[in-house]
Amino acid sequence: MKRRLSLALTGVLIMGCLSGCGAKETGELNLFTWDGMFPQEILDGFEEETGYRINYTNFDYDEDMLAKLEEAQGGDYDYIIADDYIIEVAIEEGLVQKLDKSKLSNWENINPLYQGQFYDLTDEYTIPHGAGIPLIVYDPSQVSVEITGYEDLWNPSLEDSIAIIGNYRVIEGITLKTLGKSFNTEDLEDITAAGEKLKSLAPNIRLISDSNTQDYLLSGEVSVAFMYTSQVVAAMQANPDLKIVYPTEGLGIGIMAGFIPSDAPNAEAAYAFADYINRPENAAKCFEYLGYYCTNKAAEEYIAEEMRYYLTVPENITETEMIQNISQEAEDLHSRNWNEFRVLCD
Amino acid sequence: MAGAGRRKSNNWALVAPLYLFTILFVGLPLIYMVYLSFMSRAKVWGFTNDFTLQNYLQILEPIYMSTFGTSLKLAVLTTAIVTLIGYPFGYFMARLGAKAKRLMMIGIMIPFWTSSLVRLNGWIIVFRSNGVLDKLLMWIGLTDEPLKLLYSYPAVVFGMVYALCPFMMLSVYSSAEKLDWRLLEAASDLGAGRARAFFDIAFPLTMPGLMSGIVLTFIPSMGLFFVADILGGSKVVLIGNVIQEQMTKGRNLPFAAALSVVLMLMTSCMLGLYRKICGNWKGLD
Repeated sequence: MKRRLSLALTGVLIMGCLSGCGAKETGELNLFTWDGMFPQEILDGFEEETGYRINYTNFDYDEDMLAKLEEAQGGDYDYIIADDYIIEVAIEEGLVQKLDKSKLSNWENINPLYQGQFYDLTDEYTIPHGAGIPLIVYDPSQVSVEITGYEDLWNPSLEDSIAIIGNYRVIEGITLKTLGKSFNTEDLEDITAAGEKLKSLAPNIRLISDSNTQDYLLSGEVSVAFMYTSQVVAAMQANPDLKIVYPTEGLGIGIMAGFIPSDAPNAEAAYAFADYINRPENAAKCFEYLGYYCTNKAAEEYIAEEMRYYLTVPENITETEMIQNISQEAEDLHSRNWNEFRVLCD
Repeated sequence: MAGAGRRKSNNWALVAPLYLFTILFVGLPLIYMVYLSFMSRAKVWGFTNDFTLQNYLQILEPIYMSTFGTSLKLAVLTTAIVTLIGYPFGYFMARLGAKAKRLMMIGIMIPFWTSSLVRLNGWIIVFRSNGVLDKLLMWIGLTDEPLKLLYSYPAVVFGMVYALCPFMMLSVYSSAEKLDWRLLEAASDLGAGRARAFFDIAFPLTMPGLMSGIVLTFIPSMGLFFVADILGGSKVVLIGNVIQEQMTKGRNLPFAAALSVVLMLMTSCMLGLYRKICGNWKGLD
């Protein structure tokens, strides 16, 4: 009896092993990006349809991603989604392989607005997956002025009532914009002037926070917030009476894009995945979940009506600029200005 | 003789893992950090092996010097408040009955089961505008409109004190527990008042606990950058915040390393001072 039982158990074990090996046959997709980039539905759907098993690993900062990719010498990962500026470095270092577009049947769906950017001018290496534009959102019932641009944040009536994100290139960038300069200027005099102007914003700043900035606006802790796209979308969904401002001085834009590392163990899986997430109905699900601007033109009509307005850039927006890597001197000056500003906020 | 020799070699085998651990996980990273602090930053990310003193010169800029000043000031203030609360707490806790002691101990320990980040965020729910405290105060009628308590210097001090108080309480408690209370009785038999008995006998004898409590409070309070971020709304800039920012958004690892080296030197000086003071106390025995 005992022996028969053990035989049966062995059988079960072997079967289990075989079925496990069966899944291995088509292989694994080593996906490397931030946590929470995809709805479970999309990940499960991809596994079911293609038979690839997704091995999803995350990083918190782009720099961590680059460090790991450098360590792996372009190996270990099949598909990586990260921010524009770090992809520029990865491409320069030869860690990214050129795309074979014949394997991407949904390539045409990508919105050309987000292509041909500084990090990949000829679109040879990357597939955009979401864009962000930090915007001002405010509660009209709490604010006595009409806000139309960055300059309005300096209005004395907003004393101690603004929340901003803690990305100094963005915050100093919008200050440069109010002075009519570029986000990416390397002119130290311009940056110094922006630093001085930024200091006069300090009395209006209630808090600086990168995470869940929308909560402070929703709870009434602040009446104005300058924040990331996903936070703007979250705030508007929770309270549609809030107002979004596309500042007249011009917008700063950031793009997230996917790429295949130079020595990806399973590039085929990466192509299958990139194609799957860019199928219009799938892409719509991804962006509804992600809350960033939809970089897939064909997906726009599949996005739920109440979200479409927040996930697509209005037609009249033309004045955009991407934030790029700048000289060390300029970067150091920005970081010093930022710390001087923060100290004054308290 | 031979037996003693064998025992010695056994000891060596026992402590070897400890030495190995220290060399691997403390010594080598430390050397790497000091090395890194003399290197140049690479164009976008990482560093290049070019020797420079630039990172240390940059620390001399007024904004970074004043950040060290702010951190030191906050650490001193935090330690002072923690001492004022924690010392009496630990001292009187040691005088409680066994059952009450155990209860108090559990009361101090339980919050540690939750991440300090979660606990700090819990305070936000209490203190934020229209939060629990605001509603309570308005309901009682003490205030008419929501207060702005969070995202200020006092809020950061509160967070620091909250996070570090248990360390002081426990270390004072452990030395007060060993105190021979009969000495105090003897003092009062000999005519000393309560205050005199405390300052002449109990206080010097609990000094080691107080001093280690001060070290356990002071050193972490130089580095607890997340308290300033969460309760200070990133407006109170401590040296820990600058280091974290240089490592991430600033992408300047060598500068972050140089700041860390200076911070470590500062805290080492404090430790040295502590040893000296404690040494003097032992000398009095």
